[in-house]
Amino acid sequence: MNSLTTVGQKIPKRDAPPKAIGAAVYIQDMKVPGMLHGKILYSKHPHARILKLDTSRAEKLAGVRAVITAADMPSTFRIGVMKDNPPLKTGKVLSIRDEIAAVAATSPEIAEEALSLIEVEYEVLPGIFDPIEAMKEGAMLLHEETKSNVLKLPWKLVCGDVEAAKKEAVFIVEDTFSTPWVTHCCLGTSGCIAQFDTNNNLTMYSNTQIPSLAQNDYIEALNAFGLKNKRVRIVQCVIGGGFGSKLDTYSYEYIAIRLSLKTRKPVKIIFSREEEFFATSPRQCTITKISHGCDREGRLMFREIEMVLDNGAYTSWGATTPSVMMLPISSLYKVPNVKYTAKCVYTNNTYSQAMRGYGNPQATFAIESSLDQLAEIAGIDPYELRLKNANEPGEVTPQRFKITSCGMKECIEEVVKRLNWKGKHGRGAGRGVGMASLIHVGGGARVYKSDGCGTIIKMDDFGKVDVFTGASDIGQGSETIIAQIVAEVLGIPIDDVNVINNDTDICPWDVGVHASRTTFVAGNAALGAALKIKSQVLEAAAKLLEEDPAYLDIKNGIVFSTRNKEKSTPLGKALRKAHYTLGGKMLMAEYFYDPKNENFDKEFKGNLSVSYAYGTHGVEVEVDKETGQVKILDYVAAHDVGKAINPLLLEGQIYGGGLQGVGYALGEKMVYVNGELKNGNFLDYKIPTAKDVPPMQAVIVETDEKDGPFGAKGIGEPGLVPTAPAIANAIYDAVGVRIKDLPITPEKVLKALKGKEKIG
Amino acid sequence: MNRYDYHQPGTIEEAVGLMAILDDAKYIAGGTDVMVLIRQKKLKPKNLISLRNIKDLVYIDTAKGLRFGAATTHSAIDNHDIIRRNYSALTDATSHLGSLQIRNVATIGGNICNAAPSADTACPLLVLDAVVSVVGPKGARDIAVDDFFQGPGKTALAHGELVKGLSIPSFGENTGSAYIKHTRRQAMDLPILGVATRITLSMKNGAEVRCRDMFCTIDSISNILAKLKEEELKIDEARIAMGVVAPRPMRAKKAEAVLTGKVVSPELFEEAGNVAASEAQPRDSIRGEAWYRSEMIKVLVKRALIKSMDRIIRPDEAIYPERLW
Repeated sequence: MNSLTTVGQKIPKRDAPPKAIGAAVYIQDMKVPGMLHGKILYSKHPHARILKLDTSRAEKLAGVRAVITAADMPSTFRIGVMKDNPPLKTGKVLSIRDEIAAVAATSPEIAEEALSLIEVEYEVLPGIFDPIEAMKEGAMLLHEETKSNVLKLPWKLVCGDVEAAKKEAVFIVEDTFSTPWVTHCCLGTSGCIAQFDTNNNLTMYSNTQIPSLAQNDYIEALNAFGLKNKRVRIVQCVIGGGFGSKLDTYSYEYIAIRLSLKTRKPVKIIFSREEEFFATSPRQCTITKISHGCDREGRLMFREIEMVLDNGAYTSWGATTPSVMMLPISSLYKVPNVKYTAKCVYTNNTYSQAMRGYGNPQATFAIESSLDQLAEIAGIDPYELRLKNANEPGEVTPQRFKITSCGMKECIEEVVKRLNWKGKHGRGAGRGVGMASLIHVGGGARVYKSDGCGTIIKMDDFGKVDVFTGASDIGQGSETIIAQIVAEVLGIPIDDVNVINNDTDICPWDVGVHASRTTFVAGNAALGAALKIKSQVLEAAAKLLEEDPAYLDIKNGIVFSTRNKEKSTPLGKALRKAHYTLGGKMLMAEYFYDPKNENFDKEFKGNLSVSYAYGTHGVEVEVDKETGQVKILDYVAAHDVGKAINPLLLEGQIYGGGLQGVGYALGEKMVYVNGELKNGNFLDYKIPTAKDVPPMQAVIVETDEKDGPFGAKGIGEPGLVPTAPAIANAIYDAVGVRIKDLPITPEKVLKALKGKEKIG
Repeated sequence: MNRYDYHQPGTIEEAVGLMAILDDAKYIAGGTDVMVLIRQKKLKPKNLISLRNIKDLVYIDTAKGLRFGAATTHSAIDNHDIIRRNYSALTDATSHLGSLQIRNVATIGGNICNAAPSADTACPLLVLDAVVSVVGPKGARDIAVDDFFQGPGKTALAHGELVKGLSIPSFGENTGSAYIKHTRRQAMDLPILGVATRITLSMKNGAEVRCRDMFCTIDSISNILAKLKEEELKIDEARIAMGVVAPRPMRAKKAEAVLTGKVVSPELFEEAGNVAASEAQPRDSIRGEAWYRSEMIKVLVKRALIKSMDRIIRPDEAIYPERLW
């Protein structure tokens, strides 16, 4: 594999042209004959008792085909990670996004009008909107069947002896950091079409990022609806962004299924942008108390973290993000003694979900901000402190991660060099530099019993290839990457590789697009299948060419002998020969790759991933001392990616992640006041625009991961993990104020500057 | 869903006539506000009367002062060199409204008729002493722009009236203006607050005001102002307008009085900023806190004044240098 032709090339995303010209079919564009349109009625109050729910007027509206309420759902049917969420609520509503009723009608407009005809009477109840309040003894319980608003989740990690290390540490810092709710802002809003055939088998047109797991969820639902032993097929349309938002199944999907069952018609539910803001699950907000200690030379001795997460009213994957937060907490830099506890608390706010980084950005904001504080009191340049404690290949971390390839030091050095760190750090005067690093899973993550992905490859008579993969493309580019890997192995042009990745009836199983695992896991699965079919091809060609297959290879679609130039044949000819003969065969191969990683044990220890991704971001900022505004002058994002299978897409992931991180650092926040979202629109929810993109350098550090396909590791999430602390550290370097609560708004900076003036 | 009929009159008279006979009718020009309000269900018209096909509403005339039609788009103003040079505050506003796509359709008339406290062109029009020409069932009349804005979403327009055009007087060579839109993002944003200023300068014994080279340095602004103080630049006329600090875009008349007739100095600009801040009644909202808005008035009045001055002194600089003060 020393002379690669397709892998390592900057090949544009395959789905870019259809998306650019509007030919891509999103769930929004999808139409099924006879389709009805569903709309959902949400609660008007974050906490209330439903006294009366009257749907009779809505039912009478012309064009309405069905109105459903909780009475139409099996009373014990619950969804979500803790099975605490009925798709339609009755009795009490616990948040502003609680679904109360739904309508199916012949047009979205009629469905909308029908909603306004549903009469609801509420008895408004006082709510709890602060997790600290909700944790207190005697606090009102959101779910009456529980004993406490603190979820029964065992988030506790202990490595070494933090108490002993505290006594020995020379320098110790302690502080509290907090992060807000932020939302994914997928351009494609949520939606689905549920359709039953005459035998009550379900087809779901969907934009899920977990087709195989969603299939399971729906089968469970059909069972609950009394439809036993039915088939569920999931067909994904082109997905307009996921970022973790589509990692669970939601009430609206079960509502569509129920409406479809009731009307015997396909039912489509599409979220408006407003719904996408308030009725989908954001990244959870956190309050993090952190303490760090080091010895006289700056070697880290311990790290202790206590965290509180606002779970909201129900439970989705957001409540499990502490498991991933453990990654940086235990293993970002070498730190022998670690203690971490996290509590997820029910409140009457919106409930949270996975979002790019899965808790890592929140934890890394606290860790990397705190490390700069430690460097300051220890009198060490923050970059030297990081370099001194950097992770290295061969290391086994306190959480028992086996570090294989690791380019952390190279990433730090790249940032130092490209930012001219040594000339710029510590000058103050309104300009400053800051850095922060990251560790993330880069070789799958065994959160389920299987971390696998299946791939089937078949070839036609002309050497064209169909690849059926379980891995979804949610915009990240896996279709292109998988095509590149297969084209490389088979020695054929990439245009001859067709990737099919959107139908559970024909694609093999995959655990889902999460944990930055698709290039690594689906890539390895495609690689395995391609190698298998290649040996079949060579065997077929060997007969035709009368050559030992060991001396055959394929390049540019030509099978040739490596020792005899005379012997070569176009690939298609070899395939046709194998096909059109007595007892002939068409070539096909399958491969299921499940990485050799480990589930955590009961103490949350174990080698979660086959390899780990590293990176360091460095930022130069200028702070306007009169207005508190922060301007990013330069941004260097260095990432250890193992090997860049497609540098163009990889840089795209780094730019995109970095910019999402800039939004997290400087502007984005879902403003919830007493359980109500106050800025559910793109005007007031400040994602950066194209004009806000700072000058960014994406630096690719290649470390050749031995287990990765062609040496590659994951890059999906890392791009936004260290952004916020790097910026916060740069601001501190520029003007001497540390903002510990994201986002870092001009107001917070100016207030801190004025506070400093008074003290100074 | 709100259903409505869409009318496309070809003349102003026709538009006004349609308004008189149609129920629940609303004028629509670029549609960048009206369509949003309809989607938000804040507006449920039965009839929309489009002003798009009326040629008499689209013109820019700089023969005497500046006159332009109400349906002139932000982009058209933006691309006009004479406006950029002589009425810079207006270009500052049109070039930062929304995005290019929005500026290509959004009209100045629409911007002022929407009468948002944050309307970008409002502050520049206030400092440029603009006069709004309106026409309605009872004929035509002129309204000073300061009298045009009456509250959030409220204007002096009577039922059925529409804005025909705006006119701005011509100012002498020694006049400069600027608008600073203080935002969280570089595009697609409303101001946390907006400040526009216009000043006319003269020098003792009539010397040339232009081309003072200290403005070409990267010296701190306080140093530049300190040097200018020795030059005895006198302010003959001053205008200050502020947006998002009161129910309507407003002039800071007391602060204007502080400046008029005085010699430019750092202390004077500081004082003007403080007085302007005392005239405002900013509120807390999710878009900005009141204390911050007050603080920013002080800073931005000062900066806008300096920017205005810079435009007098260096009129040929196409782009004002990006600099943090």
